[in-house]
Amino acid sequence: MTVDALTAVEAGVDATASAPALGARQLWRRLRAQRAALAGGVVIVLLVLIALGAPLLAGIEGQDTTSYHADLLDSAAGAVPRGTFGGVSGEHWLGIEPTTGRDLFARLVYGARISLFVAFGATLLQVLVGGAFGLAAGLGNRFVDGLLSRTTDVFVTMPALIFAIALIAVVPGGFPRPVLLMLVLGLLAWGGIAKIVRAQVLAHKTLDYVAASRLAGSGPWRTARRELLPALVAPVMTYAAILLPTNVVSEASLSFLGIGVKPPTASWGQMLSSANTWYQADPAYVLLPALLLFVTVLAFTVFAEGVRVALDPRAASRLRIGTGRARKDEAGDGSGDGEAVVEK
Amino acid sequence: MPHLPVRSRRIGAIAVGLALVGGAAACGPKSDDDKASDGTPQKGGTLYVLNNQALEDFDPARLYTSGGGNVPSLVYRTLTTRNREDGAAGAKVVPDLATNTGEPSQNATVWTYHLKDGLKYEDGTAITTADIKYDIERSFAPELSGGAPYLRDWLVGAADYQGPYKDPKGLSSIETPDAKTIVFHLNKPEGEFPLLATQTSFAPVPKAKDTGTKYAEHPVSSGPYKVVSNQNNGEHLVLERNPYWSAATDDQRKAYPDTIDVTSGLDQAVINQRLSAGVGKDADAVTTDTNLGPSELAQVSGDKSLASRVGTGYFGYTDYIAFNPKVAPFDNIKVREAIAYAVNRTTVVNAQGGSSLNKPATTFLPDQASFGYTPYDPFPAGATGDPAKAKELLAAAGYPNGLTITLTHDTTKGDEQGPEVATAVQEALKLAGITVKLDGQEHNAFSDTIRTVSTEPGFFLTGWGADWPSGGPFLGPIFDGRQIVTDGANFNSAQLNDPSVNAEIDAINKITDLQEAAKRWGALDKKIGAQALTVPLYHPVYKRLFGTNIRNVVISDWTGVLDVSQVAVK
Repeated sequence: MTVDALTAVEAGVDATASAPALGARQLWRRLRAQRAALAGGVVIVLLVLIALGAPLLAGIEGQDTTSYHADLLDSAAGAVPRGTFGGVSGEHWLGIEPTTGRDLFARLVYGARISLFVAFGATLLQVLVGGAFGLAAGLGNRFVDGLLSRTTDVFVTMPALIFAIALIAVVPGGFPRPVLLMLVLGLLAWGGIAKIVRAQVLAHKTLDYVAASRLAGSGPWRTARRELLPALVAPVMTYAAILLPTNVVSEASLSFLGIGVKPPTASWGQMLSSANTWYQADPAYVLLPALLLFVTVLAFTVFAEGVRVALDPRAASRLRIGTGRARKDEAGDGSGDGEAVVEK
Repeated sequence: MPHLPVRSRRIGAIAVGLALVGGAAACGPKSDDDKASDGTPQKGGTLYVLNNQALEDFDPARLYTSGGGNVPSLVYRTLTTRNREDGAAGAKVVPDLATNTGEPSQNATVWTYHLKDGLKYEDGTAITTADIKYDIERSFAPELSGGAPYLRDWLVGAADYQGPYKDPKGLSSIETPDAKTIVFHLNKPEGEFPLLATQTSFAPVPKAKDTGTKYAEHPVSSGPYKVVSNQNNGEHLVLERNPYWSAATDDQRKAYPDTIDVTSGLDQAVINQRLSAGVGKDADAVTTDTNLGPSELAQVSGDKSLASRVGTGYFGYTDYIAFNPKVAPFDNIKVREAIAYAVNRTTVVNAQGGSSLNKPATTFLPDQASFGYTPYDPFPAGATGDPAKAKELLAAAGYPNGLTITLTHDTTKGDEQGPEVATAVQEALKLAGITVKLDGQEHNAFSDTIRTVSTEPGFFLTGWGADWPSGGPFLGPIFDGRQIVTDGANFNSAQLNDPSVNAEIDAINKITDLQEAAKRWGALDKKIGAQALTVPLYHPVYKRLFGTNIRNVVISDWTGVLDVSQVAVK
């Protein structure tokens, strides 16, 4: 996944290398012009709201994540929920979990918290660690560069999931699992971002504006901060947007394998893992977490692609956005121009 | 007691193995009758056995079975065997090679057996008692490890015996005065010796044909079938008729099919899928080790024709919460009682797949007459628990504001000691003001932790099954104070060392009337139950599919599994 993402992002990265830094408003305009990306963004915002408002939503429904409802199960038939579509009712909007009778809606919205917290946290860590490594390698002397680059290579080639399984197994049980998942994913899978940052720093280092800054007396730290970091925003953002869905999947995979969050905490991966034998007897139980996971990953991926395109000057010019002509269109008939223009 | 650890560990292992392998036959006696009415079972055809776990080390000295095993018992006859009948009658011990179940003397420390006439091996040679003695001696050889270790404790002078390869003199505590008589000298009274004599170490092995560790590849059969092929250490086993076996000397095995083909290493979901579809050869197939899961049960219950092909059986097993009273606050009996009241057996049973796959338990002994089942419920919590009563007890124990405790469990999904059961207990105790933190441990780490006295937690999930259906192997290892071992195989979780309990166990072991002994075991269970050292949760029920052509399904309470020696495919 990391390697694929790496190649996917490099096309955009090359082009952004010499582009001037993009303003937030311009980025927004370019994003807005892509309906798919916009839809992805809306879904992400919704998911974040759901995650933040989980206690509120469950409260409106009148349920919680841990209460058992044995009376709603057909115990003799394998403790499967009574009623249609996994026991959907006015009290249980999305039905209940087989063998326990716990409310699925409450568990799903609380599960969103785990998925998003781990994914955002891990991505942030990956950006910070990878960025620091890449920057230091790009700016350092041959020895520093060699050392840091080889370290990065080790992390890129390491099978992160397997290593995560081993690492999680040795950490004492008392450590909060979501934080542990975030740390493990964040501190293992930063290799790709470090490589991109280093490549960008090396490319920019030789450019005139950086040389001018150095000649004007800036130290390496000031140069990095004032000249290089702004140029790194575009490729790092693009790559981070691609890392996010990867991290959602990684968290789900670890929980699916039974080493993610601990019971009775709900997470989508954990729910999918418990549900995987129920696909025939109670399809709703499998479909709900699977669908949510699918929608989330799709939304992030589409949004990431939108960010990449928006930050890619070549793609932007193909879109005719942020150029003179696009402005003319906007002035003409409002904001409904995006797709028609893209079609050309 | 130096060998106790091995024994206990093995018992635990076999019990778990049986639990996994166990549930085979169709709704017990009822289904049997339905099937039989289609036509009387006929000889011929091939019976296919689809299993998850391989029959490794198919050597009578190495197999660790309950009642001689299912497939092993087709090849190995033993001094005694389990009665091949449905239900409770199947929990009785009956003679096999011997003329009776044993003649005790000298306070049940000496047991004498005589062989039937006309017993022959697959090559036509006669079976002698010297060959039975030889197999028992082989089972002591370190290179043939794995068998039931009881004899090392029970036989006089056997504690350090190293087997016939290193010590050809053999065991002097087993005498064979003539080819048809064998006498065992025990170092303590053992009224249940006839039940032990069902194990495959009591099968004959001719010394001249012994090939040591290679014997499993082609053992010499004394039963109705002989091994014609054993691939990959029991993964694929093909058995054909033994022409020298005679039904006249064997009233237990029916041996209808001509060939038995055992394939192992199959995924459990695949086994259930193949048996329910029943396409081609799978119509003639059974499984001896794969239970229906909860989700599969939900499917079966909606399909009548499939439901008629489910065999229900009961193997004596209890899953329970164990307390270690050496750890606070479980040293306080009121805390233990509060937990016993707070437990909701309905949610626990549901967590394990519902009421068809488990029966709620309030007694430590399984609810079968052969174990001496005596109904009792010292802390009546009803089906769903009594949190109010639990709160009262907690207040009396000095915890009016509730308390926080840690429950240790196995992290294996779907396991009887797994997270599903732990979460159900956690949720039930929450209602009584007890906050339960879960300490899930990986399977092997979990069993090491709970079986080692120095690391044993105060509050954990565990389970127990017996090597034969009696109270002795059920209560002894768990509550006999002399069986507390410190080296990692301790099953006396409560570390109970009560002289009156120990004395009663000794007294019952002297009784050779098994029914009389069973009553005493039941009474002892009730007496110990009042101490709230365990909270019995449930007894698992075996539900296993069999193919459309399978007839004469017999499921005893000894194994809980359909008996392959009774099944016909025509």
